[in-house]
This record gives sequence, C-alpha cells and structure tokens, in this order.
Amino acid sequence: MRRAVLLLLLGAGCSGENTSPDQPGVFVLGVDGMDPTILRRLIAEGKAPNLAKLAADGAFQDLETSNPPQSPVAWSNFVTGLDPGGHGIYDFVHRDPLTYLPISSATPPPGDPGTSVKLFGYNLPVSAGDEIINNRSGTPWWDVLDGAGVDVEVYRIPGNYPVTESDAKTLSGMGTVDMRGGYGQYTWITDTSPVAPPGHGLKADVQLVTVEDFDLDGKGDTVKAILKGPPDLFHLEPGQMPGESDYLTVPVTVSIDPDADVAMVKVGESVAVLQEGEWTDWMPVSFDALPAGAMALGGSVRFYAKELRPGFKLYASPVNLAADAPPQAISTPDDFATELADVLEGQYYTQGMPEETNALKDGTFDDDDYAKQVALVQHDAGGMLDVALARFDRGDATFFYLSDIDLQCHMLWRHGDPKEPSAPRHPAWEATSAAKHALDIEHYYQHVDSLVGRVRQELPPETLLIVMSDHGFQPFTRKVHLNAWLRDHGYLTLKDGKTTGRLTTGDVDWSKTQAYALGFNSLYLNVAGREAEGIVSAGDVARVEAAITADLLGYRDPADQKTVVRRVDRGADIYHGARLADAPDLVIGYDRGYGHSDESTLGEIVEAEIEDNTSRWSGNHLMAPEVVPGVVLASRPILGEAHNLTDVTATLLAWYGLAPLPEMRGKSFITP
Amino acid sequence: MGSFNAIFTAIFNVVLAPFGHGFPWFDLVLWPLLGGILALLVIKAVSNQAGITRAKNFIQVHLLEIVLFRDDLRVVLPATAKALAYNVMYLGYNIVPMLVMIVPMTAILVQLVSHYAQAPLPVGETVLIVAKLDGEVQGVAVRDVTLELPAGLSLDAPPVRSADGEIAWRVRLDAPGDFVLKLHAGSVTEEKSLAVGGEARKVSVLRTKSWEALLYPAEPVPAADSPIESISILDRDDQPLRGLPDGEGGVLAWFFGVSLLAGFLLKDLFGVTL
Repeated sequence: MRRAVLLLLLGAGCSGENTSPDQPGVFVLGVDGMDPTILRRLIAEGKAPNLAKLAADGAFQDLETSNPPQSPVAWSNFVTGLDPGGHGIYDFVHRDPLTYLPISSATPPPGDPGTSVKLFGYNLPVSAGDEIINNRSGTPWWDVLDGAGVDVEVYRIPGNYPVTESDAKTLSGMGTVDMRGGYGQYTWITDTSPVAPPGHGLKADVQLVTVEDFDLDGKGDTVKAILKGPPDLFHLEPGQMPGESDYLTVPVTVSIDPDADVAMVKVGESVAVLQEGEWTDWMPVSFDALPAGAMALGGSVRFYAKELRPGFKLYASPVNLAADAPPQAISTPDDFATELADVLEGQYYTQGMPEETNALKDGTFDDDDYAKQVALVQHDAGGMLDVALARFDRGDATFFYLSDIDLQCHMLWRHGDPKEPSAPRHPAWEATSAAKHALDIEHYYQHVDSLVGRVRQELPPETLLIVMSDHGFQPFTRKVHLNAWLRDHGYLTLKDGKTTGRLTTGDVDWSKTQAYALGFNSLYLNVAGREAEGIVSAGDVARVEAAITADLLGYRDPADQKTVVRRVDRGADIYHGARLADAPDLVIGYDRGYGHSDESTLGEIVEAEIEDNTSRWSGNHLMAPEVVPGVVLASRPILGEAHNLTDVTATLLAWYGLAPLPEMRGKSFITP
Repeated sequence: MGSFNAIFTAIFNVVLAPFGHGFPWFDLVLWPLLGGILALLVIKAVSNQAGITRAKNFIQVHLLEIVLFRDDLRVVLPATAKALAYNVMYLGYNIVPMLVMIVPMTAILVQLVSHYAQAPLPVGETVLIVAKLDGEVQGVAVRDVTLELPAGLSLDAPPVRSADGEIAWRVRLDAPGDFVLKLHAGSVTEEKSLAVGGEARKVSVLRTKSWEALLYPAEPVPAADSPIESISILDRDDQPLRGLPDGEGGVLAWFFGVSLLAGFLLKDLFGVTL
C-alpha cells in the first residue's frame, strides 16, 4: 500500500522526505575487475563457496563491459545508464584539440582560472573563476532512487570526484585526489638514490637525505625531511601549474635508536614509534596555507619503515584528504565522509586508488611490502563495509565498491596467469617473488568471497544482492606504441627527420599528420577545423578512418605473427547521446595480451612500435570488450542473457518500480 | 607552582566528587555558573563602575552620531575617533578585574579540564609514552633511562632514544586499571599515572616541570633537580560528556560560554554594569 502511495506521489511529480518503500532493498557489491573465467574456475574448485552459493541461489552470468573497457568509462555507464556518448567519459585521458594536450577525462581544466591581487606577498583571489566540476553528464541512478524516496548510500563510487550534487549519501572513490591534487604520489625518504626500472620514470617524490649523527656516537641517528601537501595557491597565479617547490610542506623528523632498529617519526604534531618493517597508523598533518593557522588544510599520512639500518628507506603514503575534516568535498552531503570517520573512529583511505601500485612499479616496494599495504586497504574497506551493512535497513539501496581484485590483477599477473596457468611466463616474471606470490590473485578472490558471505549474513531477508564487476582481466605481455605505429605507417610525421618526440613539444609536423593517439584506447584524426592544425577534411575523414582501421586489423606482432588489434570501432558508430562530439574518432580494441604503452597514452612517440611489457603492471583490461567481460551475480534469477552495465542500472530502478529515464539505454533483468 | 596545583587539586577532588563523572553536567554547569557570578562580584568590587557606564554611554552617543550623520565626513571622522577612544577607555576599566579574576578562573577551568577532558585509554590499544630529559640537569643520558611497567602493561616495541634527549616507548594496554609507570633515570625514579579501561574518571596526560604544569595539575611537578623534564602520554581519548562539547577545547569553550552567559543574565541582579 505504502509503495502504491509512493508511486502515486511520484506520478504526480511530488517528492518528499526519504522513506524507503516497504519492500526488500537492494545491495550492490561492485568488485572492480572480477573476471568470469577466474571466478568459474574458483567456484568449480570449491574455493569461492559464498559466490558459488549466490550463483546457485540466483544467477551468475558474464556482464558485457563498456567500449573501451576502462573503469571510469564502465562505471560511468553503470552510474548513468548511458554509454560514453551520453555521459562524456571516453577514456582515462581525453585531449584538447586546440593544444593536442592530454587532459583528465574526469576533471578538464577550467576555462577561466580566476584573477588575484598580490598583497603582502600573497596572491589573494579576487574572482573565483570557473569551478572544477565533474565532466560526467547524465543523472546518476542514486538521484533517481533518492527522488523516489529510497534511502540510498553509495560508498567509494568510481568517477564521482568532484562529487556531483545529490541528496543521496555518496562517498567518492576512484578519481579522488590526494592533497597534492593528483591520484596519489608517495614520498620516498632515503639515503640512497633509487634506480628506476628500465623505461620507467619514478612516480615517487624522492627525498635524498643524510642520516645525521647528532649525538656524535658514530651512528647516524636523525633524519630531517619534508612532506609535500597541497599546492601553495596563495603564492601561485590563478591557473598556474605548481612547480616542485610550489607545495605547502610539513617537516618530518625521524630519530633512530642507537641500538635497536626502531625509530620515532614526527610529522607536524603527530608522533609514532616504528620498527623496521612496520607501518604507522594514520597520522594527522596540517598544512598552513595562510599564516597563524588562518587557513589550515588537514590531511593524513602513514609511514612504512622499509629499512632503518644500514640503509635508510622510509615510505610516506600520499597525503590523503583528512576524512574527519576533508579540505574539499568528497561526499554528499559534505559531512557524510566525516560521519563515516566518526563511526570508524578515525581516518580511512580517501584517495581514489589507495593500493600503492606506484611504489611496486618503481621497485621501491617488493611484493611483500605491497601485500602489507594492500592488507591495510582491505582493513579499511572491511571496516567501512561493516558500517554500510549496519546502516542498511529493509528497503534501502546501497552500493559498495571493492578495489581488491582490479589492482592486484594489474600488479600480480606476472607471477602466473590465473586464467591460463599453462601460458608462457610473463616478461616481468620474477623467480623469487613468483614462488611466494603466484596464488595471491586467487587469495584476493577468496577475500572477496568471504566479504560476500559476510554481506549475505547481515542483509535483511529478501534483499536483492547484486555482485558485479566493470570488466574482467587478461595478461598484458606486449605493449604497443600506437603513435610510433602511426608514424611507421605514414599517418604521423615528425619534424626535421626526427623519429621520436612528443605530440605536445613541437616535435610533430601537424601539416603532414593525419592521426594521433592519446589515452589508452583512443585515436583521433587531425581534422581540419576541429584540431588546431588539422589537415583531414570532413570529406576525407571516412577514408582515413577506413585506411587506419584496415591497417590496424592487419597488423601482426613481429615476434610471433599474432593479431594485435582485434577490433577498431568508429566513435560515431558505437556511441549515442549529447556528448558525441567529444568522442575519439576510433576506439582501439586490442587482442588478448596486448595493450597501449604508457608512453603512447600520454602522447610520446618512441622508436619501437611494439615490445615486451616488462613492467610489474602486468595484467590489463584495456582491450577489446569481448576479451574482458565482467560478471554479474544476483540473489535472484536473471532474465535473459548478454546483459551489459546499463542493464544493472535499469534493474536497480525497476526493483523499486521505476522506469529508466528516457535517455537511459539499459533494460532490467530481474523482476521485482 | 607545585603548591598552587596541590591546593587546588585537593580542593576540587573534594568538591567535584559528589556528582563526578557519572553526571558531568552538574559540575560543567555549576562551576562555569559560579565562575560567572564570581566575575560579577569581582567586577563590582574592583572596577570603576561609574567609569564603565560613562564610557559605554559615550560609545553609544558617538555610534549614534556616525549613523545619523553618515553623509557628513566632518562629523563621522571625529565621532569614529572618539568612539574608538572610549572603547580603549572601556577596556582599560576592565583590566583590573580581569587581573584579579585570572587566577581563580584559570584554576577552576584547568581543574574541570583535568577531570572531564580525557578518558581512560581502551584496553588492547597501544599508547606512546614520551619522556624528555632536562638539558639543564647533567649526568643522565637517554640510554640511562628505563621504564618499569606494572603487570597489565607491556612494551610493544623497543624504546627509541633520540639524540635530542627524548625517549619514546610504545606500550600495549593489556588490562584495565589505574597504573603507575616508573621511569628510572640514574638514581632518580619518577612516576606517571596511566588510566586504562573502565568508567570515566580523572586522567592525567602530562607531568612536566614547564609552565604547562599549570594546565595539567593532576600530578606533582618533577623536582627541579630531576633529570626528567616531562613525561607525556601522546595518545588521548576525549571523555564523552553526554552531549556537551568534549575534549580540552570543548570543556574550555563550554566553560567560557556558560560563564559569559551567566554574567550577562545575572548582571542586573547583582547591579553590575558590564
């Protein structure tokens, strides 16, 4: 009856205070990167009993991922029920056609940075300029449900930073920045300069220090360093990119005991005692943007003592926005993040992608260090999941995101292919680590399985439980330098006979360049009237697209003649909606094992077209969508087959008797 | 300082006892209220009430002048200057009562903070105990300082002895209780209390020779010739105060807020001009 009244009110265009309908609710566990092949094997081997039971009680199917199968794209499909043509997120990286510069797909730079006036050495803002906003269009499903009176809570949702205005309770996830404004830069305080792996630039803020012997006992005892926080905006011109010395800092002092491998770490006002191999808990830090604490920005950091003697290696995490008082909005309402910090009795990872993959890629972490750090992330996530479950009442709708599997598959695939155990060794295989960590991915699946068991135990009866992933996984053994391929096939020309360079540093002769690659799967034509120095006329676009497509599909790996590119799609053919003009001209779908190189993704043109991927980033999903489907499991039978991410969106709405919005593309697969 | 603390601590241990931590509202309303009344009595007794009244009247007159003749700069500028001058005069009349009140009010405040700001630490957690050597007292080095823990507490990591005279211990709180830690520094032994688990009660987080002893009066100040300058417990839990603002800042803000409110509400009753 209550539900009927609610629907009547909705029909009349009314919305009132949130009161969940008197019907079972829905709980969605979003498991980034869960692969159907791996999961089926683990279920068959009896290693995922809770997921097996969920599949037996309801259903388990492959879930068609987005094209391209990138997390921001896929989760935006799920959030809005649209494809990229509607929500406008086509890749991790977009490009500015007027500068050929790569830009963040989530938060393009504001047009007007504002103005300031210089006073007493400070740049004081006079006009605010354009706000940095979330680039995603469309209406999130949680707003539709909230408008219908459902109590909605959304935890760590990817692609929702900056947070979009909402009356629902949401906490942003993947894409949320650290205090420096990036996706997470750690600090490596050491007395020995780290050596980057070949072809890889260190991602750390490396601080080379000397272990001073202050008490003159012949043993080094004290290290002084700094921790960088947010850009010092009051000393930067509006819109100016910060240089290395343009960040606010706090001092870090490490006192090492003369006899034992134990140290006291002081950062700002916080103090911790740390033995070698230990992590500190979260330590609050405060960065003074203005003197005398007139504007203090709060963050949190944790340290890891990799080595105290004889060498000194101290890791400091990216400074996370303080959960109990975030200096910028990471939730709706603003105090939801704080409310969670209160319940959890402290800080949690607010950084969008908290697993420390950069340190593992840099070689400053080994697999053991990484596993310890992932355990901390899991501990945080587990605590937050308990909170979400405790707050869940009959009729509510909750989404909870888990990053466990995705980043571990990216980093640990090199130890052994969990989909094809008999596959040849990965180029980044390391004998000693492989022996110890070959089954780690399987263990992370089992961890998720245990969480699913916990969720099922805690949910009210009849609650619809959906476990879904945005994509699956494959090995990443060969990396393709697409801009080099375009050069070698005559589509991209460098100036002055050069063979290498960058799109953005004046190396490219745009008057002879028909196409360029930016982003992980995106290829753009150099179109006249759209690009700053475009040469491909509107009438010639189709011919050039067809030529590149044919060449890419015919491209064979010189190492073994395997197909490199499985499919090439025209953006105009596969996308629909108001944001179509922003779409890449061609979307490259690599075959199993192949993927875009990091160099090409950011517009670098290197010598080789293709080479072994020796990076520890060894598993991937940036391929043709059919190679990396995701999963959907539900506690009820699923109608039909071949569902995609937007169908999950439609299902959430249909569960509460709501029709999808007119622009949404999915269809419900469960009957309420 | 030590005697001052000892006297006030003894008094407040008695006067705060009847209701105590089971019903913090009583003390946290009563004492700021008494503080407000005390302030009124002091102001009445030692301030120049006629002067305060006159200064306030002139401030009002000149503010009115500014409002009425806001278009005439020749009137506004002198009126503003006079209003400011009378403001300075008004503040001057309040200096003497402030000086008289500062001692008893501070004493009340720190006693309330001492009783109600901190809670015992939870069992199972670890806590950092940091001792600082007094640089003025020779003969004891960081390596000479040891910590003796009673049963119920255990070391969770080796101590860190820093080159600048600090020693830090990470201590695991294995059992509830009111413990006494013993720090041996050469021939001297200093003690530090540590409350773990159980009901809310008075908790001391710092024992020091410095001026901060005024703010943390619960334990005796170390002797001047002690090699230990201070012993602090770095991990602290705010005592929940049933809806009142908690922690040191919370008790402080509450005390001043209620005192001021009481003063303004009762000033006519006491015939005081503020």
